[in-house]
Amino acid sequence: MTSDTIGVRKPLRIYCIEDNPLIVFHIEHLIEKAGHVLAGFADSFSQLTADPAAIDIDGALVDVDLADGRTGPDAAAWLKERGIPSIFVTGQQDIANLYADRVVGVVIKPIVAQDFADKVQRLDGRT
Amino acid sequence: MSGSDLVEPGALDQVLILAPYRRDAAYLGQLLAEYDMAVATCISADELTGYLAAGPGVFVTTHEALTPTLIDIVARHLNAQPPWSEMPIVVLLDRASPNSRIRGQLAAAWPRSRQLFYQRPLTQVELVSGIQSALLARMRQREVRDHIEREIELRRELNHRVKNILASVFSIFEMTRRGATSVDALADDFGARLTALSNVHSAVFEAKGEAISIAEIARLTFDPYRQMGVSRIDASGPSVMLTREAGTTLALCLHELTTNAIKYGALSVPNGQVAFHWDILPDLGPDLSVLWQETGGPPVVAPSRSGYGTRYLRAALGGLFGAKPDIMFATDGLRCEINGPLARVACNPEAPDSVSGL
Repeated sequence: MTSDTIGVRKPLRIYCIEDNPLIVFHIEHLIEKAGHVLAGFADSFSQLTADPAAIDIDGALVDVDLADGRTGPDAAAWLKERGIPSIFVTGQQDIANLYADRVVGVVIKPIVAQDFADKVQRLDGRT
Repeated sequence: MSGSDLVEPGALDQVLILAPYRRDAAYLGQLLAEYDMAVATCISADELTGYLAAGPGVFVTTHEALTPTLIDIVARHLNAQPPWSEMPIVVLLDRASPNSRIRGQLAAAWPRSRQLFYQRPLTQVELVSGIQSALLARMRQREVRDHIEREIELRRELNHRVKNILASVFSIFEMTRRGATSVDALADDFGARLTALSNVHSAVFEAKGEAISIAEIARLTFDPYRQMGVSRIDASGPSVMLTREAGTTLALCLHELTTNAIKYGALSVPNGQVAFHWDILPDLGPDLSVLWQETGGPPVVAPSRSGYGTRYLRAALGGLFGAKPDIMFATDGLRCEINGPLARVACNPEAPDSVSGL
């Protein structure tokens, strides 16, 4: 998964912003299956901005509703300002669509593994 | 319902008047205002589309105003009404006007409206009571509208929750599968975890609210094992109501701790004990403190690699309390302790009256 014709690619460091620990677990599993690494997670926008680990990342997966309210779109904007691409992972496609310009993709819950693997590739700024 | 163009906004309590000749509009407006009715006056048919879009309660007009243009504008508005709406229309006729022809024409041109015809001259009382009863009918329509909107909102919320639950179930399955050594073990563990999730869901639903007490979560989690003869769990603490999400997470954590204790810990031997205690520490915020302490079990050996249970506990309790849990594989018994702001998890952080949990 992580190699191409030129050479072995470094795994992406992916951050997860999600308030349901079960989903974080599942996402961690899917990230690892896709050959990448979970760089950290936060359950709220405020926790994201306070986490020093949230800067050294290649991309992020963001739920729309978080522990501090409907702050997923704010989190995506905050990351975008810092040049970090993100993907919404949410059951609420209609809300995600309103903020489509802040993300590089939307994964609808419940997560389908193949859809997840395809979209996560969009976090790779090197392609 | 095909989109926002069908929405008729507002309180639907205004009387819209279009009476372009003589001083009819001014007179009508003054009269209705005396009876405390909100009035908007439209000067010409050109402006009517905008006024209708604001969602009038009742539309009042005179037969002189009924030009083909006006009839057409009103007809288009009526056709675009949402299903619950039948705008009442009051038409003031004259003795000299061809009244039955006008009635027939309007009945055909204006579907889905409640049409009331009055022949002038008429008494103030007659007109006012007619308009009032039309407004009353409009209020009933508004109630139907609000009811439909509430139902749409509830369905949206239900869909959101079902999706969240399915996503949780899917996560539980994936995580259980990763740790499973056989198909039977997978089936047992997955079934037990789903039961824990389902129990707490039922409990929150039956509580008819969005809150559940820690004592109730403990009872739900431990009762199935008590019935199987495991009565060595002591649960106690003050009354604390948790939010639905916090309650669900705590229930799943207690389930992991309990099954671990039955398989490997204090509940795997006849004399082992578990104490599950929670308390409110008023000096710290206040904080909620939760402790799981096993004693009398076999010597504890720290696992070489963390299983689903331990990793879930760390992540879930960490997320719940905003602090890392202290999980100690002490030789005399597993100990799991965590403190965090009560306000983060509780529905009633200001009411910690001390009662026994179970």
